[in-house]
Amino acid sequence: MNRSRPELPRTIDRRKFLGAAGALAAGVALPGSVARLFGAEDRVVLPFENGERELVAYPQKRPLIQLTARPPQLETPFSVFNESVLTPNDAFFVRYHLSDIPTMIDPAAFRLRVHGKVATPLSLSLDELKRLAPPAEIVAVNQCSGNSRGHFTPRVNGGQLSHGAMGNARWTGVPLRAVLEKAGVSADAKQVSFNGLDRPPIPATPDYIKALDLDHALDGEVMLAWAMNGADLPMLNGYPLRLVVPGHYGTYWVKHLDDIEVLDHTFAGFWMATAYRVASTPAHALEPGTTAKQTEPICRFTVRSFITSLAANATVPAGRETAVRGIAFDGGHGIREVAFSSDGGRSWRAAELGVDLGKYSFREWRIGFTPDKRGAHTLMARALNRLGESQPLDPLWNPAGYLRNVVEPVKVEAV
Amino acid sequence: MKRISVVLLSVVAVVAGLFAAEIKLPTETARLAESPLPGFALASTYCYTCHSVDYVRTQPVSSRAYWKSSVVKMQKTFGAPIPDAAVDALVDYLVKTYGNERDGSLPAAPASVAPVKK
Repeated sequence: MNRSRPELPRTIDRRKFLGAAGALAAGVALPGSVARLFGAEDRVVLPFENGERELVAYPQKRPLIQLTARPPQLETPFSVFNESVLTPNDAFFVRYHLSDIPTMIDPAAFRLRVHGKVATPLSLSLDELKRLAPPAEIVAVNQCSGNSRGHFTPRVNGGQLSHGAMGNARWTGVPLRAVLEKAGVSADAKQVSFNGLDRPPIPATPDYIKALDLDHALDGEVMLAWAMNGADLPMLNGYPLRLVVPGHYGTYWVKHLDDIEVLDHTFAGFWMATAYRVASTPAHALEPGTTAKQTEPICRFTVRSFITSLAANATVPAGRETAVRGIAFDGGHGIREVAFSSDGGRSWRAAELGVDLGKYSFREWRIGFTPDKRGAHTLMARALNRLGESQPLDPLWNPAGYLRNVVEPVKVEAV
Repeated sequence: MKRISVVLLSVVAVVAGLFAAEIKLPTETARLAESPLPGFALASTYCYTCHSVDYVRTQPVSSRAYWKSSVVKMQKTFGAPIPDAAVDALVDYLVKTYGNERDGSLPAAPASVAPVKK
């Protein structure tokens, strides 16, 4: 396996960014979910304090909103979600935890190891993996646990993301179940852990390893994927193989997956036992400023919906119909209905749902909106899933900034 | 025979190399804001070891308690080689430069942001 470390920069650029900083210090509300700053095409300002970001084009990617450079954390500009129900690979968000990431991988030398509580440990090449079972396909949303964290009130620390740490893709791979069945899982197995080629920058840092309960790992839907949207995974999305855990937060979707271990106990590593945990309370919510007495690993997505065709402060013609579009998704039960309001939530109408690409996919919706008078209108979308779960009108809070799913209003101006 | 094997192996290595996927990451540009505080030199030593410093600049304006917990997390949880004696100075620099003890006349986000490298 060839792995190489990213080079560290040696020069210091001292150009300061005082304009945006001043505007933010003054608490100026910036228009748009992503406002262009002074017409500059290479920066955006997300609508919260310290929200200025560079747009940077990484390899195999169009310019994306850079949260951090080392390791890369890149957010999808929100306008992309109005382009297509499948998020293009070159716009798909990137999230790493630890900075020693692989930048060169020889697919011929790549091996996936399956070991631990199995009858036959395996070391599989990509070709062997692709021949193991008929290829499976699933359209599924991947979303960061902390997507939209920057919008929390009161603010919480962590990666300050707007709504772009999510994406929807058609994944191709082999069911994890087929691989585990080939290895032969022992009767006393409890969990399965997953490690990838990304490594900690120093040995003392806990490696990024995640685990699933055995039943979940064997559900036939969890997949080892080598392709998204019909092409090899981009390097920064986990080339040549990643875990796909439909309906579950991206923390489980281990990238550059090369090591699977079947365990006879509950995995106790930092990234399961300490990180990515939520309160064992209704909706995993807490009173702002408090901490949880009891926690559990984060699990499925909450129900969400977004208006994608109109950004904040967009203008629409008064007295004429505007077609409004958006997306909705949940943790894998499927969207039953999307309600739309153009009066700030006082009245609601059912939107028309688009093509059903499966219960783990974004579901498009659309509805006509005719403003009866000039002036401000507050538009809202609110999804309902097949379990009857929906979205709150007032935000829930938790200290890690996970699970956000409040109705996100979009104010527009009829002219 | 041996020479032929060596040649063949070289050819195999070159061909395999042709199919290797490789990317080159853009240059990291975020820098810590300069300061006369003693913690600036310490932050310049320790923070860059493991990550870029846009992590610091993009946080909401936060309290001394937050920055203390963050430095201790780097030290204890992530194993950063930060000596105990450096913790208070690091926290002092971070909260006075990026946190809620920063001088009101300073910009809220003093870290440099360089232009995009195409």
